[in-house]
Amino acid sequence: MSRTGARPLALLAALTSGALLVSGCGSNGAAPAQGGAAAPVQGGSLTYATDVEPISFDIHVSQQDITGAIQRNVFDSLVHQDASGEFQPWLATSWEIAPDLKSYTFHLRDGVKFTDGTPFDAQAVKVNFDRIVAKETKSQYAASLLGPYTGTEVIDPHTVKVRFSEPFAPFLQAASTAYLGFYSPRTIQDNGSKLGAGGPADVGTGPFVFTSYTKGQSVVLSRNPDYNWAPGGAAHQGPAYLDKLTIRFLTEDSVRLGALNSGQVQVADPIPPTDVKTVQADSRLKVLSTDAPGANYALVLNTTKAPLDDPQVRKAVQRGIDLDTDVKSVYFGVFKRAWSPVSPTTPYYDKALENSWPYDPAVANKTLDDAGWTARDSAGYRTKDGHRLTLEWPLPPAEYVREQRDTLGQAIQADLKKVGIEVTRPRQDIGTYIANVYGGKEHIADYSWARFDPDVLRLYFNSSSQPAKGGQNATFYQDAQLDQWTDAGKATFDKTVRQDVYTKTQQRAIDLGLIVPLYVRTSVVGYSTQVHGLSADPNTWLSFHDAWIGK
Amino acid sequence: MTESGLTVPRLLRGVLRRLLGAFAVLLGAATVAFTALQLIPGDPVTVMLGPGTAATPEVKAQIRAQYGLDQPIAEQYLHYLGRLLTGDLGESYQLQRPVADLIGDQLRPTVQLALAALVLAVAMALVAAVATAGRRPALRAASSLAELLAASSPSYWIGILLLTAFSFQLRIFPVAGDQGLPALVLPAATLALPLAGVLAQVLREGLETALGQPFTLTARSRGLGRGAVLLRHALRHAAASAVTLAGWLSGTLLGGAVLVETVFGRPGIGALSLQGTTNKDMPLVIGVVLLSALVFVVISTVVDLLYLVIDPRLRST
Repeated sequence: MSRTGARPLALLAALTSGALLVSGCGSNGAAPAQGGAAAPVQGGSLTYATDVEPISFDIHVSQQDITGAIQRNVFDSLVHQDASGEFQPWLATSWEIAPDLKSYTFHLRDGVKFTDGTPFDAQAVKVNFDRIVAKETKSQYAASLLGPYTGTEVIDPHTVKVRFSEPFAPFLQAASTAYLGFYSPRTIQDNGSKLGAGGPADVGTGPFVFTSYTKGQSVVLSRNPDYNWAPGGAAHQGPAYLDKLTIRFLTEDSVRLGALNSGQVQVADPIPPTDVKTVQADSRLKVLSTDAPGANYALVLNTTKAPLDDPQVRKAVQRGIDLDTDVKSVYFGVFKRAWSPVSPTTPYYDKALENSWPYDPAVANKTLDDAGWTARDSAGYRTKDGHRLTLEWPLPPAEYVREQRDTLGQAIQADLKKVGIEVTRPRQDIGTYIANVYGGKEHIADYSWARFDPDVLRLYFNSSSQPAKGGQNATFYQDAQLDQWTDAGKATFDKTVRQDVYTKTQQRAIDLGLIVPLYVRTSVVGYSTQVHGLSADPNTWLSFHDAWIGK
Repeated sequence: MTESGLTVPRLLRGVLRRLLGAFAVLLGAATVAFTALQLIPGDPVTVMLGPGTAATPEVKAQIRAQYGLDQPIAEQYLHYLGRLLTGDLGESYQLQRPVADLIGDQLRPTVQLALAALVLAVAMALVAAVATAGRRPALRAASSLAELLAASSPSYWIGILLLTAFSFQLRIFPVAGDQGLPALVLPAATLALPLAGVLAQVLREGLETALGQPFTLTARSRGLGRGAVLLRHALRHAAASAVTLAGWLSGTLLGGAVLVETVFGRPGIGALSLQGTTNKDMPLVIGVVLLSALVFVVISTVVDLLYLVIDPRLRST
């Protein structure tokens, strides 16, 4: 969640963080990256190069993917969400959910210790959750995961009850993320304000210990020899195989790739689409591709701003973009074009939407004719009552544009020009950009939001999810059915109900032309064939607990 | 040519004047940085957190209050100057650590890199200029072309090129990082090459002018060899303009470090300022701006003093 994960205002989720920082194998979470019958080798060290460096290492504060991805190796959660979306025991061996979904009781695993020797118990859960919501923590993300949290009750040393002021079904999923991981209560007390700086003060229960951090260069983690509480479904129990895990920050794509090619790092993440073929062609290297869960990168159409208040114009935009060609040519076939607001790896993805709204300039032209945009001006753009059919889609500063989305934008501009729609892309500074897009002053916004839960549809389409209040609905559309369905999906664990409401939501969002899904974000990691057992969680973050170095 | 010009009161006055000047420059830099940050459109906290934040309005208000951003601008400015005077650069919004500590931590790798680059650049420029000044046109042209290439190549490109050749292919040096001398070679060379290119050209130009002066003829007629004349006499003449230039260029090393440190994944001030700018971390950006201003002031002072050493004529009057 956050950055790659749930990012409440995903405008940047989409834009800033590097392409999916960590990724997994195939599209399945915990599958081993490499088969082979060889027995795992104990020891050795692995260097992993990534492109983004955390701003804050504090999991309770940070909203960055990279923070969650690195700290996932240091901090454990109450439950683990497996690749199929089911919850497995982790620090909690079992749990009960009150029928009104307003409280969750967790039975904690016995014998779990933080790496400073403090036992993990009910009090530790309470101290951590209370810290997340405390005002002084200034949580940018974790606090939103706790939602309507009212408190944690210590029932006995191994039982806690977490309470909410209203029904809160997303809690289990939230509790499985690294952002609701647990610091040793001792380090919270001694180093509470310094946890963001990284280093040995970040004490958790995870398979690795945070040994050191050199700003601008690297993080070093070392094995936690006492680790014996891997989540249900892990490939092995007991301590990690690797003695040492070094995370190097190599921002430049070419340098990261060169370091991988020359064997100076064993895992490089991400591999840009342009270089995937080169890595695949190298017999000493392998590639892991994982489709990100959550909302696809998409054009979000502002339905309150003319001419996009006319559903016919929105439909014309949907059908007037040759996405198959555009996505393929910009991303070399590495990213797939999208059909639904959510990606295929997201639970309750509606496969029926595939091929249901293909590129068809004839349909786009006819729809625009019907909507009254019949005249053309000297530049070839359609006009109505003397006004040109113009849509403004602002471009944020270059540092917020990733995955060559500006290039894809040019292809989209060219396609829409063919049906007579002018798309302008003024470059805006980030302050103006945020104010305009959040304020509903632009026609089009573009973003994605990775999260392993279809509840992301509520954040995109529920009318209460206003961008000005940390929401995500830049369509600004008010629809009783979308509200009802996405609220219902959030308030239940009933699979039939969720299947039903989320399928209907995906279809209606496309039918109403609220959104033009563009591509499925795919994280591509390159790694040496010496690396075995690399795996990822459903957020596509690499997990190094089962990884080992062979030949 | 008496030394009388350098009397103590005169020197003191000079130093005082320079200190006052330095103070004015720093105050100016601080004010410009503060103003520039005020001019960034949008709410500073929103800009700082970026568009992808889950921070609630309450959290934003909390941050605003903590950093005094809810105060009137004039008050913020005075507070800020007051804190600067006590040496307090404030705390980074994003990294939640004192800016002075952050800069202190990152200073060593950058100073190391900049000094190594400077030494390397001067050495390369000296060798190239002395070896080719007044020599055959073909040799001069070749050297001149090489210098022009070095001077005009973006350091980003040079860095990638050197990495590809010496790290990825030949595997002589590690890819990056602050890991001892071997890891310093490529970044220092990357930073030094453009500098060396410019310096060598200026130096050779100066050497050749000096070689055309009557004193050279005199020296040669006393039986000195070409090398001796170059090193003992002509170089001193040529050095003045090269030192000015080197001073100015070493000020730009900090800017160059931003690119080089990013390409090589090295810690340092460059990487820190890039992070500060990208994250709109105002106290951090201001801290780095002040540091650069300080560096320029110090360097220009050093250059002025060097003139006195190089050119005795400047010492009188």
